[in-house]
Amino acid sequence: MAGPVKGAGRVTRLALLTAIALTIFMVEAQLPALTAIPGVKLGLANIVTVYAVFVLGPGDALLVLSGRVFLGAVFSGQMMTLLYSAAGGLLSWCALCGLKKLLTREQIWLASPVAAVCHNLGQLLAAAAVMRTWAVMAYLPYLVIAAVAAGLFTGIAAQALLKRLNKIQK
Amino acid sequence: MRTKAILLLLLAAVAASAVCLLWFRPETEHPVARITRDGILLEEIDLSRVDEPYSIALEDGSGLNTVLVEPGRIRISEADCPDQICVNQGYISDSTVPIVCLPHRLMVEIVGARSELDGGAG
Repeated sequence: MAGPVKGAGRVTRLALLTAIALTIFMVEAQLPALTAIPGVKLGLANIVTVYAVFVLGPGDALLVLSGRVFLGAVFSGQMMTLLYSAAGGLLSWCALCGLKKLLTREQIWLASPVAAVCHNLGQLLAAAAVMRTWAVMAYLPYLVIAAVAAGLFTGIAAQALLKRLNKIQK
Repeated sequence: MRTKAILLLLLAAVAASAVCLLWFRPETEHPVARITRDGILLEEIDLSRVDEPYSIALEDGSGLNTVLVEPGRIRISEADCPDQICVNQGYISDSTVPIVCLPHRLMVEIVGARSELDGGAG
């Protein structure tokens, strides 16, 4: 993974990552809901987002993220959810870009819970804007707790992934 | 150092959320359900005065939701959206969290006698 990959190699890698993220996203969507609180889920597809931001850089990560979010909405047949996913995804992407400057590659596991909290916050803000009420913020405490737990899980997974991929690259 | 700061921040967020959940135990002795779409009030039902369960069909351009009203509690029993999140949430009987149907921009919330005063902005 040393140096930026250009041209067909870059496109192939981005396409591959988008496909992986989309597959994880669709499989996870088939699992029954963990709790009665909507929005609580593991967010396994974000392993790919975290990996992409830290390894490929913010620009390429945004491409993978927007590709996955758009196609995820198309495949799940819910175009309305696109708005919420996009708002959450964008805010968590901003958080990840900021954290990339603060953290080393050994601390990626820590970036994920912050990004997860931002993701849920972005979704709730979008929901509040659409529903024109702040009442949806009643979900925030539940979602923050769930996001930190889920974020730690995906963060550790992303860290493990990076370690193994580094071995392959050598 | 930075790791510790971020960890502390996360811990503080979780602690604040937990305190929020434990502290603000809703007291809903007199539950009133409010059904809104786009923030506009469609129905207001005093749940303590409901004797027989009944259902209301709410339809607009985006889709159909069926709301089941029972004494002291309310739920969305049917929705013609693929995700069924609002249906799976089941009954609510206090103001802890509202039921939200994001695809149809529909919300069912319960306001108690106490929160009715400051719930005007909701």
